[in-house]
Amino acid sequence: MAELIGSIIILVGAFFLFSAGLGLLRMPDTFTRIQAGTKASTLGNILVLAGLGVYHPDWALKLLIVAYFILMTNPLSSHALSRAAYAIRTPMTPATMYDALRDEQDKAANSGDAP
Amino acid sequence: MSRVFNLLVLVAFGFVFAGLIGAYDERQILSALAIRYLTEVPEGLGAPNVVTGILISFRGFDTLGEVAVLFMVAASVGTLLGGKEKNAAVSAAPANVGRRPPSELVRNGAEVVLPLIFLFGAYVIMNGHLSAGGGFQGGAVVASGVMLYMLAYPRGGINHDVLSITESLAGVVYVTIGILGIVFAGGFLDSAILPRGEFGTFISAGAIPIISALLGIKVGAELSVIIDRFRS
Amino acid sequence: MGLPISQILLATGFALVLTGFWGILKHRNILRIIIGFSLVDTGLHIVMVATGYITGGTAPIVDEALSIADGAARSVDPIPSALVVTAIVIGFSVTAVMLSFAIVLFQATKTLSIDRLTEQKW
Repeated sequence: MAELIGSIIILVGAFFLFSAGLGLLRMPDTFTRIQAGTKASTLGNILVLAGLGVYHPDWALKLLIVAYFILMTNPLSSHALSRAAYAIRTPMTPATMYDALRDEQDKAANSGDAP
Repeated sequence: MSRVFNLLVLVAFGFVFAGLIGAYDERQILSALAIRYLTEVPEGLGAPNVVTGILISFRGFDTLGEVAVLFMVAASVGTLLGGKEKNAAVSAAPANVGRRPPSELVRNGAEVVLPLIFLFGAYVIMNGHLSAGGGFQGGAVVASGVMLYMLAYPRGGINHDVLSITESLAGVVYVTIGILGIVFAGGFLDSAILPRGEFGTFISAGAIPIISALLGIKVGAELSVIIDRFRS
Repeated sequence: MGLPISQILLATGFALVLTGFWGILKHRNILRIIIGFSLVDTGLHIVMVATGYITGGTAPIVDEALSIADGAARSVDPIPSALVVTAIVIGFSVTAVMLSFAIVLFQATKTLSIDRLTEQKW
């Protein structure tokens, strides 16, 4: 029974990973691609690890530590990538409404300290 | 026209690969060489991890050649990219790219994650002979930690000279241990110069942990130097 | 499906190699061609490790799951794994040299498209 539940969770995680890849292909510009790739693939990774933890209950603590590590590093690296892409002025898709980082930086430059 | 050509090439390769996969029978028994390695490494050398035992003692020359390849790659990347280092530091660098302070998330996250990465790299290197791991794998983990350090503290410089001296020293000590193998034991890079110890404990399997640690230090320093050259 | 494990792994490896080939042939940007080379490397490593699989075998590490006595009977072939460890490091080194060449080309000709690089020297 635990094997069935574990396998279903792993399949759901695999579906999220597939949708991350699909999002990388179909999104219009760099920033939306980074967002789709990171969020969906982190969730897919954590679900696969949780499914494995249900399937083999005596590995659960080690898998929890690995999942924590993934949660710490994956969003960090994509944040660094998107800041770098913004700094070299990568063009945004025309559907963008407003640019929160530019407003933030202008406000901070007007009041005198760095964002 | 070129799209049709690409597709034709891919379909042709696809047929070749499909033929290879279809005609492949899964192996049922091990070859004689594999059986000899699988019995000799745990009993003869005292190392539980057979792959590390093969890499360091039975195929030690391949590992020595790989160390030479890594050194050559570090030298070529240094030649291609490092020539204008002194001038770039003196003349005015572009004001926005590379002189921005890193964002808060990267700095705070690096403070939490960096000790874990270095600890994990050291664990993988030192446990190479007991469980899955080894010099090359641990060295790559340590180099990725150094890359995160470079991203989070762009002005806290990695001292190039210290890294180069470390990697060269590790290479020299590696070859010295090999020569000690000729003097004291069976041949070049024989790991029997140190006692075998009890099977499965940390200090066991002769000189394999020391050679593993040296490989890890050398690979880690080498990859850090290569990554530092790309940051200009 | 009833496919044996090694054929699934071989198919995955060869699919990666085909994807890498398509990337090298289609794109005009140097960095994407380098990513294609890296994909071909990874696919071939998977193929090499997959040829060492013995039916019903386990990892060649002697611990509480595999004693010394039946180590030779129940484990997979350790030789392709040892060769692939070396191959991965050399693949990384080749990628590093290719990337530094791309950087030097960009600094000399200010373009990353291989269509502009039609002369023999820059």
